[in-house]
Amino acid sequence: MLQAQIIRSNTFRRALAVTGAFAVFVIVLFGFIYWQTDQYLIARSDRMIARQLNVISALPGERRLDAIDEHLRQDSRGVQYAGLFAADGRRIAGNLEQFPPELKMNDSVQSLSVVRTLPTGRETRTIRAVARRMPNGDALAIGREVDETREISHVVGQALALGLLPAFCLCLLAGAWLSMRAQERVEDVNQHVQRIIAGDLRERLPHRDVDDPFSRLAAIVNGMLDEMETMIHALAGVGNDIAHDLRTPLTRARLALERGRTNATTMEQLQAVADKAVANIDQSLTIITALLRLAAIENSRRSAAFGNVPLHELLREVCDIYEPIAENKNINLRVEAGHLLNVRGDRDLLLEAVANLVDNAIKFTPEGGKVDIELLLGDSEAIVRVSDTGPGISEQEREAVLRRFYRSDKIRSTPGVGLGLNLVAAIVKLHGFRLVIHSGPGGRLEIICPDEQMREERPWLADERKN
Amino acid sequence: MTKVLLIEDDSETAEEITAELADRGFEVEWSADGIEGLDKARSSRPDAMIVDRLLPGMNGLAVIESLRKDQVRTPVLVLSALGAVDDRIRGLRMGGDDYLTKPFAIVELVARVEALLRRPAESRDTTLRAGPLELDLIERTAKRGDRVIDLLPREFRLLEYMMQRSDQLLTRAMLLEEVWNYKFVPATNLVDVHMGRLRHKVDGPNDVPMIHNVRGAGFILRTGP
Repeated sequence: MLQAQIIRSNTFRRALAVTGAFAVFVIVLFGFIYWQTDQYLIARSDRMIARQLNVISALPGERRLDAIDEHLRQDSRGVQYAGLFAADGRRIAGNLEQFPPELKMNDSVQSLSVVRTLPTGRETRTIRAVARRMPNGDALAIGREVDETREISHVVGQALALGLLPAFCLCLLAGAWLSMRAQERVEDVNQHVQRIIAGDLRERLPHRDVDDPFSRLAAIVNGMLDEMETMIHALAGVGNDIAHDLRTPLTRARLALERGRTNATTMEQLQAVADKAVANIDQSLTIITALLRLAAIENSRRSAAFGNVPLHELLREVCDIYEPIAENKNINLRVEAGHLLNVRGDRDLLLEAVANLVDNAIKFTPEGGKVDIELLLGDSEAIVRVSDTGPGISEQEREAVLRRFYRSDKIRSTPGVGLGLNLVAAIVKLHGFRLVIHSGPGGRLEIICPDEQMREERPWLADERKN
Repeated sequence: MTKVLLIEDDSETAEEITAELADRGFEVEWSADGIEGLDKARSSRPDAMIVDRLLPGMNGLAVIESLRKDQVRTPVLVLSALGAVDDRIRGLRMGGDDYLTKPFAIVELVARVEALLRRPAESRDTTLRAGPLELDLIERTAKRGDRVIDLLPREFRLLEYMMQRSDQLLTRAMLLEEVWNYKFVPATNLVDVHMGRLRHKVDGPNDVPMIHNVRGAGFILRTGP
């Protein structure tokens, strides 16, 4: 079973393919080396033959015979050939029985075969030889056996070929080993994943801090699991939150109706009871709607509705709308949106997000305070900043404030359900922006829109560096 | 009598709506099914229609689409439990004239039906008049009788909207959508505060009040006594 898996696995097949390619390459390389060695040896031999020819032909006539005899005498291995022939073909000296007919006169070294008489009998040999016509008409031929160089080449070739087999086996083994290792890792990951599927959300894939594809994949999957765990906890939390925050107004409605039914005697009393019930039911409905919207935004891909949103106009609009409300509380509401900045987004949602921030700022700032709406240009990002002189959000509350239904003690007396910032956070996330909550003094919240989303209409307006 | 056709499959809701509209003097015809509703729309020619989106037989939007294809221009108010903005946009694009999500306050429904029936006529007049009020739409100035009223741009827009629909109940939701282009309902009483400012400017100490707050419902600009 394991063997079948090994052979079937992609890793092994790939290892096999690589081995095959390697083998082909090695064979080609060896062939090339063999051929080059062969060529070199032949060339060397040819040079020696040619040199010998030059030496002997340079000698005066009588000395030639001696030189040939000496040359042949020194040939211990019997691979040299020489011959001096008269113009009519009669052999004068040397071991060549006759002048080889194929041998061209005064030409370059060539291959030919000659018959040689040895103690063992007559044999045919392949030699490389060259011939030259002497001034006195004689023909001088010098040659050397090729078989010898061939042998050397063969030895080289064989040695190399012998090396190929172990290399091939090594490749196969490496392939099998790699495949097994990969299989192991996949099995390991599989087991972890099974545990996660079975419900253990805290399980994470193991990965070493090595930069290999498996480790990178494991890191990515772990990131995904982190996100999922957060979401699932949030959802579970929402169930609890909803239960409490919905039950309260519904319980109030029910109590009022029950009491009214038993105790009310006049029409007005009954109407008062009905009013109270309706108000509480409306409160519950508001919460449900808000939560549904939150869920829809958090899970949506509403980028289909995205268009060009002029932030400067949007901020001025929000300021305009909230101006009378701020005035009622003697709060100085100011907008500063000098930069003409556009972002890609959903105008309605962005309006709602900014309006929520401003609404909160005004709501939580006591009489006579200040609320500022600013559009700033940071390093390659646009910043919408809403700041106020209210109690602000402390360091410890910064995370809590984004939980559903959370309402700080500082603002417990003001109306509200505690979902506003959740909505802002969801909208901001949908757009790929960032929501930054600064701790005091006073409130300061920023929506940061990174560069890719932003286009400034008039780049020659002065930059305002982020504080 | 104004005839309204209601196509709604939940009988309890339908009863409530029918009763309320009848109290206001409307003649209400009811169908619980999409196909039957479409037939009735064609045959009885109502002045306005209230169509629930999710219906047996044929869904509400398909009914409207079919009517529009036949060039039937009856104003339609779409009711739906689907409240996402995309659903709203779709409902309006398929031919609906207004969109109300469930649950709704019955006053909201009635106000919107009346608004549909009394849509301001397209007029090329550069002056808008309602009672003693007069708006110059080019110069963007306002007068009550001889007294000039100094209005901010947003106040002008609000008064213009109310004058175009004078003597009609305008709910907060309607005002937020139409005047301020807000597709959501803010927690604070935005509309009330703005209306307060406007009323302060329009209804002087010696004037007969024209801008009225209808308790639990909305606002109304009364031109008569």
